[in-house]
Amino acid sequence: MIVIDGAAGEGGGQVLRTSLALAMVTGQPFRIERIRAGRRKPGLMRQHLTAVLAATQICGGTAIGAEPGSTTLEFTPGKVRGGDYRFAIGTAGSTILVLQTILLPLLQAGERSRLVLEGGTHNPHAPSFAFLERAFLPQLARMGAEVSVKLVRPGFYPAGGGRIEVEIAPLERLLPLHVPLRGALQRTHAEALVVNLPGSIGERELVVIANRLKWSAEDLKLRTDKQALGPGNVLTLFLEFATIIQVLVAFGEQGVSAEAVANRAAGVAARLLKVDAAIEPHLADQLLLPIALAGAGSFTTLALTSHAKTNIEVIRRFMDVSISAMENGEDLCAVHVAT
Amino acid sequence: MKRTVVIGFLGTTLDAGKGEERWSRWRPTVALCQHEDFLIHRLELIREARFTALGNVVAQDIAQISPETEVRTHEVNIRDPWDFEQVYGALHDFARAYQFDTEAEDYLIHITTGTHVAQICMYLLTEAHYFPGRLLQLSPPRPLSGSQPGSYSIIDLDLSKYDRIASRYRAEQVEGTSFLKSGIETRNLAFNRMIDEIERVAIRSKAPLLLTGPTGAGKSQLARRIFELKKARHQVPGNFIEVNCATLRGDAAMSTLFGHVKGAFTGAIADRAGLLRAADKGVLFLDEIGELGLDEQAMMLRAIEEKRFFPVGSDREVESEFQLIAGTNRDLNLAVRDGRFREDLLARLNLWTFRLPGLRERKEDIEPNLEFELHRHANEDGRSVSFSKEARRRYLDFATSPEAEWSANFRDLGASVARMTTLALGGRITEDVVKNEIYRLRAQWHTAGQPSGDDFLAALIDTEKLAQIDPFDRVQLAAVLNVCRSCASLSAAGRRLFAASRLKRSSSNDADRLRKYLARFGLDWSSVHAGSQSN
Repeated sequence: MIVIDGAAGEGGGQVLRTSLALAMVTGQPFRIERIRAGRRKPGLMRQHLTAVLAATQICGGTAIGAEPGSTTLEFTPGKVRGGDYRFAIGTAGSTILVLQTILLPLLQAGERSRLVLEGGTHNPHAPSFAFLERAFLPQLARMGAEVSVKLVRPGFYPAGGGRIEVEIAPLERLLPLHVPLRGALQRTHAEALVVNLPGSIGERELVVIANRLKWSAEDLKLRTDKQALGPGNVLTLFLEFATIIQVLVAFGEQGVSAEAVANRAAGVAARLLKVDAAIEPHLADQLLLPIALAGAGSFTTLALTSHAKTNIEVIRRFMDVSISAMENGEDLCAVHVAT
Repeated sequence: MKRTVVIGFLGTTLDAGKGEERWSRWRPTVALCQHEDFLIHRLELIREARFTALGNVVAQDIAQISPETEVRTHEVNIRDPWDFEQVYGALHDFARAYQFDTEAEDYLIHITTGTHVAQICMYLLTEAHYFPGRLLQLSPPRPLSGSQPGSYSIIDLDLSKYDRIASRYRAEQVEGTSFLKSGIETRNLAFNRMIDEIERVAIRSKAPLLLTGPTGAGKSQLARRIFELKKARHQVPGNFIEVNCATLRGDAAMSTLFGHVKGAFTGAIADRAGLLRAADKGVLFLDEIGELGLDEQAMMLRAIEEKRFFPVGSDREVESEFQLIAGTNRDLNLAVRDGRFREDLLARLNLWTFRLPGLRERKEDIEPNLEFELHRHANEDGRSVSFSKEARRRYLDFATSPEAEWSANFRDLGASVARMTTLALGGRITEDVVKNEIYRLRAQWHTAGQPSGDDFLAALIDTEKLAQIDPFDRVQLAAVLNVCRSCASLSAAGRRLFAASRLKRSSSNDADRLRKYLARFGLDWSSVHAGSQSN
């Protein structure tokens, strides 16, 4: 049995979700120990449990120790089946993180799947819906995957109530992905989403972007959503290059001014525009697993985050795959995956 | 893993909030379901009828942020949520009606919301185990930390560090002790103190209890009441199993207690669980434990200590977790010395030993028990019976007098009341009925044949007066009266009674001596003879 140290590296939920996805795709059971050891609240949290339950549901597998606060979990996957699934995530937890756990297994299920996911769609410390739709899925499409997503209603912490719908077409095998260069910058634009809060918050954010990044007015959009349940604000910046789109987000917070939120996002964008690396770190993290499953691929990114390094370690436990990372200075790292 | 169930009041102030603004307020009942590390499977939300709208908003918001949680709303009728009696009553009714399943569910009593009165009542009901759970207290998040759910703490009132707080609330304990006494308002100080102690032990301890005391002192009833008290407080899900060890003889004893497997011996045609397993998660009352055989004692010791034992003929141990209550009217220390009772078993039983006093040691409790027995018969027979004032006084005088032996204690009292209620005409126990009953009791207690003559005396002399006559004098008086009744006149009786001394005397005043003797006891010739005729 594969034994994963849940306290290694960044640890936490990412290790668990990657392990669950790999277990289902490769058909190997695993045990994860010391889950989130050393945290203030160790063990499985409710959002992790939802991911575990979603996994057991799509593959008919079994999970021992799936309880809040449990520090050990043993998961035995069954055969993944496509179909219609609905998952509701508590505490406005991220729908995207649950999707991340089951998306690749469902791709290889041999039949079409339709998912409804309810909870948070724009969560700090998780990929946002815009990232999923505009940054991640286009790269997955280049690997042959047909996945369509629809944001029915945004959901923010703490009220949640968001809903996304996903349709996944079956796929024999993912194709290798090579992104050595991002190509020319084609367009930049920003979107401030403000729901159940004064629109002025978004306007102030966009003013900062216009001033700092010198983006023109037609590339700055203020959006709201009448469907949303509960208040929320997110500022999203899109850097569209020839081969990839980089999506950056910053969340409005109580006690933080709209200007500070926008400045944070603008700072990241300014830095990314200067470097040569093709893929920004969050997307690099997300692409490691599909590229490993494809068996080959490569890309350039900034220096690997410890998050990405932990991810690579977990992948190596499940698959006989070589992943090399050659760092070339502070802001460039070439990643190669081969079998 | 058990399911987590929270029971709490809707906070009409704290849980309130209109529009989207509400999401930036700390609303305890909603925040309860927002903790990442704390999953609530069901929330029992108690609210007053006029807060339907708020209740619905809170329930919807919880459904949104905690799809794992089922919300059940309970409407209660409380006109004034600051009225202690109303709130306590409503919550007490709720707790009594609620189907607690402590085997499968873990109950947390949420006390952050509701009026202070509601919080106190929740506390009291939890402390008294009407809510078989732990308290749940939330705290708001630190200022400026955004819409975080804050923190929560779970408080177990059974922890000893809260004992001093708990001991301030005696009201529920009084209910418990009264329960143990079957509602009889006993007056004997020592007995009441003992029951107080038993109440505390019964609620807090799972260790064996030993009840000693003479036959009929109420050991068996008390054991059953202890079990019922524990059951009412949700401490034992199992059953009350009672057996008198004197009835367990020979080979059958082992299998009756510990069970056997099919084919263990001739006649064992099927598996038998045995009484110990029947008492699993309940209470086993072994009356007359001194009569238990030595082999059974050894098995019993192991069953108490390990909570496991071998059924007869089985090589597989079985488990049973029961609380043992043992009863005995023997001195077990003596039995240990004689080698008839295991010392280690006695040591195990000796942790909580309560000696139930006989009725003679609790004279002041005879009246309340008499009342109780009358009510009991009234309930059983469906007709109410009462004493006439005189009859009651006479019966109680006798019952509390030194000559009332009550050798079988409450069994005697119960039988006595049963006889009187049966003989009572028109629902009234008259002096005559009591008089006859006193004869009967005397006869019963004097069957050993002591020639006490008290029968004669009781017919002629008030019980009160009789009680003041020394037994030394009673024997003589009875003999004198016996002679009087067989003689036609005072003089004739005097002649016979003073037969020896009259031979030596010059003048005879036998009749006068007898008259004076009788007068000392308030008797005269005519009353002595009237007494004899009435018999």
